[in-house]
Amino acid sequence: MKRLMDALGEDGIDDFGRMQLEALAGGEEGSEDEDESEEEGETEGAGAGEEGEESGEESGEDEEEEGDDDEKEDDEEVDQDDKTQAEVALDDAESVDEDAVPRQKVVVDNKIALDRILDTIKLDPKIPWTETLVVTYPETIDVDVEDDLTRELAFYKQALHSANAARKLADQHKLPFTRPSDYFAEMVKSDSHMERIRQRLLDEGAAIKKSEDKRKEREGKKFGKQVQLEKLRERERSKKEMEDRLKGLKRKRKDGVDFPDAHDDDAFDVAVEEAVEGRPSKKSKNGAKISRTKRDAKFGFGGKGRRSKQNTKQSTEQFNYGSRKGTGGKAGKAKRPGKGRRMALRK
Amino acid sequence: MNDLEVLLPHVKKDSKLDSKSQLHLLPELADLHNCNNTLYLEARRHEDLYMWAAKTPNGPSIKLHVQNIHTMDELKMTGNCLKGSRGIVSFDKGFDESEWGRLTKEVFTHIFGVPLSARRAKPFIDHILSFSILDNKIWFRNFQIVEKDPLQPNGPPQTSLIEIGPRFVLTPIRIFEGAFNGATVYSNPEFITPTAVRSAHRREKGDKYKMRKEDQAERNERREARRREEDELAVHKVFA
Repeated sequence: MKRLMDALGEDGIDDFGRMQLEALAGGEEGSEDEDESEEEGETEGAGAGEEGEESGEESGEDEEEEGDDDEKEDDEEVDQDDKTQAEVALDDAESVDEDAVPRQKVVVDNKIALDRILDTIKLDPKIPWTETLVVTYPETIDVDVEDDLTRELAFYKQALHSANAARKLADQHKLPFTRPSDYFAEMVKSDSHMERIRQRLLDEGAAIKKSEDKRKEREGKKFGKQVQLEKLRERERSKKEMEDRLKGLKRKRKDGVDFPDAHDDDAFDVAVEEAVEGRPSKKSKNGAKISRTKRDAKFGFGGKGRRSKQNTKQSTEQFNYGSRKGTGGKAGKAKRPGKGRRMALRK
Repeated sequence: MNDLEVLLPHVKKDSKLDSKSQLHLLPELADLHNCNNTLYLEARRHEDLYMWAAKTPNGPSIKLHVQNIHTMDELKMTGNCLKGSRGIVSFDKGFDESEWGRLTKEVFTHIFGVPLSARRAKPFIDHILSFSILDNKIWFRNFQIVEKDPLQPNGPPQTSLIEIGPRFVLTPIRIFEGAFNGATVYSNPEFITPTAVRSAHRREKGDKYKMRKEDQAERNERREARRREEDELAVHKVFA
């Protein structure tokens, strides 16, 4: 108590306050009962005098631990009102009394004070729902905390239920809910961010597909032997088919011996080729020959002759070289790419 | 934590507060900005984040510990919503079952509920902020409300949700009666400070080391005690 008085003396408390504190602390030391905290708080408040509205809070003080928070408060408010000083007094008194008791965490759950505070800040129940948009989910969430999937599902369910309820309420209050499809405005996440998200989704999909393919391949290897057998059988079958076709052709050929013009080798070869390839040739047999000019264009003809590049009398007399070199180059057709590039293109 | 600011169109952001010890400046700051609710995020030791949710100037204020933060920047959350649309605030029933829960609910209603007349608010609702109590902690999620089924765009409207983020978990520590000061009216008995957790962890590790060292010393002692004195018939004596 002496210590307290010294501390307070430094702060320059008036005599009246000191008297009060003394009286208070004395009463406090006498009855250290925690049960009657509320009434006690009332009397203290009355004793401290002016602050009528703060009377309720005193009840919390005597069960309060002397933790960091209190220290801080003390530092901050030491110069303020009587109430704070009363608090200090109580704490000090307590510490004097319970000197030997080891410090332990004291749980504060002052329900009365909580209720009172709630009452003071509570919004007017008459204000329309549209002001707050608060929805309460009628169930408690009671799932295993460690189980991520069920936990998130529970949250999702809560949000979904609330969304539906809010939708109904919004309809009741004629509050626009859904955004029309032609309403564009700035979004929370930028377009570039959403693009990145999309890209990541695609990448994930690709990765999953890849791994699945790999797995399939691995499984396929298990059945490799069967596959090999299958292939062999397939090869055999195709060989047999080919032989059949050739046989058929031979039979036809035998039949065709009677014809006088059947002896030319080309016709036979073509037929064999056709049979092997399994498809008829494109060339129509009775079609007319392509014209001379077309054939020349396609295959080339004998050539212009040796002297076509020699100077003639006319060309000797012409001197217009420049026109050939200067402007002709640009208008010429695209250069043929080099061999290496052509080969690369072919692949 | 810019995410919270983006989600709440009626918010006024202030620059960093210089000193963590002078919390009484905050109500003044709030007063300067004509605010009656304050969210103050306090980072300590570069790893712990605390959040104060307070009604200024008369209180109460709630101190919470923030954990498991996933911000909107993460690519896993694919939802998106209008910037400044008013979100629905959803609480589960757990809030109504305890006094501190009711008080927290009321304060969060004030802070996270966007008023109808907020200047930057947009007139539609397309996301929902959900608070749930589980394991004595408050879990925060933010979902986009999608009314159409993307698979059948002309079908009946089917509400589904896509998470936008952020998500975090709040552990209430204390509720104070004033704004950033005043008497404690509630303190969470289950809350252990992260520093305590870490130091306990370290101590456990140290204990393990100590145990090992003790065992080693004991073993050596035993070995010394059981050593036999040199024998007459030792190998190197017989075959010298």
